[in-house]
Amino acid sequence: MTAVDLFLQQLINGLSLGAMYSLLALGFTLVYGIMELINFSHFNVFMVGCMIAMLTLQAMGLSGQTVILSGAPLVLTLLAGFAVSMVLCGFIGVGIERFLLRPLRNVKGPAAMITTIGVSYVLFNLVLLTLGSDSKNFPNPLPPVVFPIGGAVLRLREVLIWITAAVLMLALNYFTRYTKLGKAMRATAQDAEAARMMGVEVDRVIMISFFIGSALAGASGMIFGLYYNLAKVDMGFAAGLRAFTAAVLGGIGNVPGAMLGGVLIGLIEALSAQALGSAWSDVVIFSLLVLVLVFRPAGLLGRLAPNKS
Amino acid sequence: MITRRSTFRIATGVASAAILGSRAAHASDQTVKVGINLSFTGADAESAARIANGAILAFEEANAAHAVPGVTFDLVKFDDATATAGQYDPAQAATNARKMVSDKDYVAAIGPQMSGAGKAMSPILSAGNLAIITPSSTNPDITDPKFAAQYRPSGKAIYFRTVATDAFQGPNMANYMADTLKIKSVYILDDSGAYGVGLADAYQRQAEARGIKVLGRDRLDPKAADYSATLTKIKAAAPDALYYGGVGQAGVKLAKQAYEIIPNMIKAGGDGMQTADLLKGAGFPAVDGWYATVASPHVTEDPKTASFRDRYFARFKIYPDDYTVTCYTAAQVIVEAAKKVAATGKPVARDAVRDAIQGVTLPDSLLGPIQFDENGDLKNKIISVFQIRKDDKHPLDDPDSQYKYVGVAPMTQS
Repeated sequence: MTAVDLFLQQLINGLSLGAMYSLLALGFTLVYGIMELINFSHFNVFMVGCMIAMLTLQAMGLSGQTVILSGAPLVLTLLAGFAVSMVLCGFIGVGIERFLLRPLRNVKGPAAMITTIGVSYVLFNLVLLTLGSDSKNFPNPLPPVVFPIGGAVLRLREVLIWITAAVLMLALNYFTRYTKLGKAMRATAQDAEAARMMGVEVDRVIMISFFIGSALAGASGMIFGLYYNLAKVDMGFAAGLRAFTAAVLGGIGNVPGAMLGGVLIGLIEALSAQALGSAWSDVVIFSLLVLVLVFRPAGLLGRLAPNKS
Repeated sequence: MITRRSTFRIATGVASAAILGSRAAHASDQTVKVGINLSFTGADAESAARIANGAILAFEEANAAHAVPGVTFDLVKFDDATATAGQYDPAQAATNARKMVSDKDYVAAIGPQMSGAGKAMSPILSAGNLAIITPSSTNPDITDPKFAAQYRPSGKAIYFRTVATDAFQGPNMANYMADTLKIKSVYILDDSGAYGVGLADAYQRQAEARGIKVLGRDRLDPKAADYSATLTKIKAAAPDALYYGGVGQAGVKLAKQAYEIIPNMIKAGGDGMQTADLLKGAGFPAVDGWYATVASPHVTEDPKTASFRDRYFARFKIYPDDYTVTCYTAAQVIVEAAKKVAATGKPVARDAVRDAIQGVTLPDSLLGPIQFDENGDLKNKIISVFQIRKDDKHPLDDPDSQYKYVGVAPMTQS
C-alpha cells in the first residue's frame, strides 16, 4: 500500500464511521432543538435497535455470515430489517416521551434529563437480562463484493452504509424544510408558546420528533450490525458518546450541523488512529471539541439561541 | 451450582447427622468459608462459569469425603464484573476483597480470573493476611518481588497461582512464533488492561531479543467499536504476524475486523483469546487460524485425567477446560492446607492456612507436581499453544473441540 492508498483507505473507514455517528447525532439534535433536552436514553435506544435488527434478520433465517443473499431477496431482507428496527425504535422513543417525559414537561431543572439517564439504564438492563452480556454474531447477508481503488478497497457494505445514511439524511432535511409538519417542528423549536398560539399542536410535534430521532437510532443500529457483524449490550455508550460529541461539535439543535459533526468525528477518529495510534483518538477528538467550543460556543453551524426569558 | 443456601443445608445436614449418630462432636467442628472471585457476568462470564465449576466440584468432593475431619467448606461466589465496565472492574474486585477480609470465617480465597482485578485485590488481601489462589490471572507483577511493597505490603506471599505467568506466556509464544511459525516481523496490539499490556510487553521484549522485527505497537480501547483504522495501518505495515495481548472484549471485535482487513496474516494472542465468547461472538470464518496460549500444561486430553473428566461431566454436563483444572487444583491446595492445619489440632484460621498453603506439596495433581516458590508462583511452569481450526463435527462455539492443541511453547534458554 502506498501512502496515498493508505490515506484513501482511512478516508473510507472514517466516512463509514461518520455516517453512523451522523445518524445517531441527528436523534440528539432533533430532541434538543425542540425541547432543549439532552436525551441520554438515545444511547441505548440505538443498542436496542441493533438487537431488534439482529432478531429480525435471524427470524428470517439468517445466521452469522453463512447465509449470503443477492438480488431481490437481499434487498427485501435488508429493507425488512431496517423497517422493523426503525418502526419499533420509533415507538420506544414515543413511549419514553409520552409516559416518562411529558409528565415532567413543566418541571424546572434537570428532572427530565436525569429521567432519560434512568431510562437508558433500564433499557440496558432489560437487554442484559433477556439477551445476556455476550458478544452476538450479527447476521450479514451481504455478498463480500469489493471494489479496488488503487491499493485501497471499498466494500459493498460501505457503499450501502453511505447510501442509506445519505438517503435518510436527505429525507430528514427535506422533511424539516419543506413539509408542513417540518415547519411546525421548526416553529416549535424557535418558540413553543408562539407556535402553540399559531395553532401548532406542540405535543404532537414533540412526539413526532422523538419518533423520527429514535427511528434514526434504529437505522444506525442496523447499520452498526451490518458493518461490524456484531451486537453487544454495552455498544451504546461508546458510540452514543461519540455521536453526542458530533451533535455538539456541529451545533446541537442544528440538523446539518449534526451530519457535519458526525462525518468530521468519524474522519478524525480514523486519521488520528493512523497518525498517532488509536489510543490517542479520544484525546484528539475531545481536544478539538474544546477548541471549537472556545471559538464558536454554539458549535460549527449552530447559532446561539435567543434568550427566552 | 452451589449456592450459599444449599451449602448451608449440606453443612447443617452433616452437623445433625453427627448428633443423631451420637458421634462425638469433633473438637474443631466448623464451617469455613472460601470466597471465589471471578468475572461471572460480562465479556468473560462463559469462562468464569467453567473455572468456578472446578472449585465447586473439588469442595463438594472434599465435603462428601470428609477430607478434613470436622471441617465443612462453604464456597461463596463474588462477581467482580460490572454492567458499566462490561467486564471485570478493579473497583468491584477491591470491594469483594474487603468483604472477604472483614469476615473472619473466610480462611482462603480462589480467583481472580483477571490480572487487573488481582492488582486491586492483592494489597487488601495482604493487609488481611488472607491467601488467594488464582487459577488464571497471569500478570507477573503481582507476584514479582520487585513490586512487593505494592502488592504484598505486609510481607508474606498471599497471591498464589496454579498457572504460569505472562513472563513466560508472552516470551514463550514469541519463541514458538520464531521457531515454528518462522515469522520475521510482527505488529503488536494490547487492550490497555493490566493483563494485556503486561503480556504484550513481555512478548515484545522476547520478540526483539529473537530478532523479530516489531513494526509497530498500538493500544485498543476495549469499549470502542471500531478498530478498522488501526487494522488498516497494520495492513499497510505488512508484518508476518499480529500479536494481541488482551481479553475477549476487544478481542472479539479485533478478530472480526481483522478477518475483513488482514485475512491472511498469522494472528496470535494469549489465554485471553482462549474463550468461548470469541467463538460465539466473532465466529467462523473470522476466528479460523488464530493462535492462543494457555499458561498451564494441556491435560484435559491426557488419559490420567479421564476420571476427573467423567466426574466433571456427570456433575455439570459439559467438559472441563484447562483453567477448570487449574481451579480444581487450587481448591485441592486449599483443602490440603486446611487438612494440615486441622491435623495440628488448631482451628482452621486464615493465618495458619496461608502458612500451610506456602508449604503445600501435591506430588501428583492433575497438573503434575504442585509447589509454590516464596513469591507464590508455581515452581513448574508450562505454556501450551492452541490454534483455532474449524471442526464441523462438534458445536462451532465449543472451545474444547475448536481449539486444537499444537504443542508446548519453548522456554527461553538463558
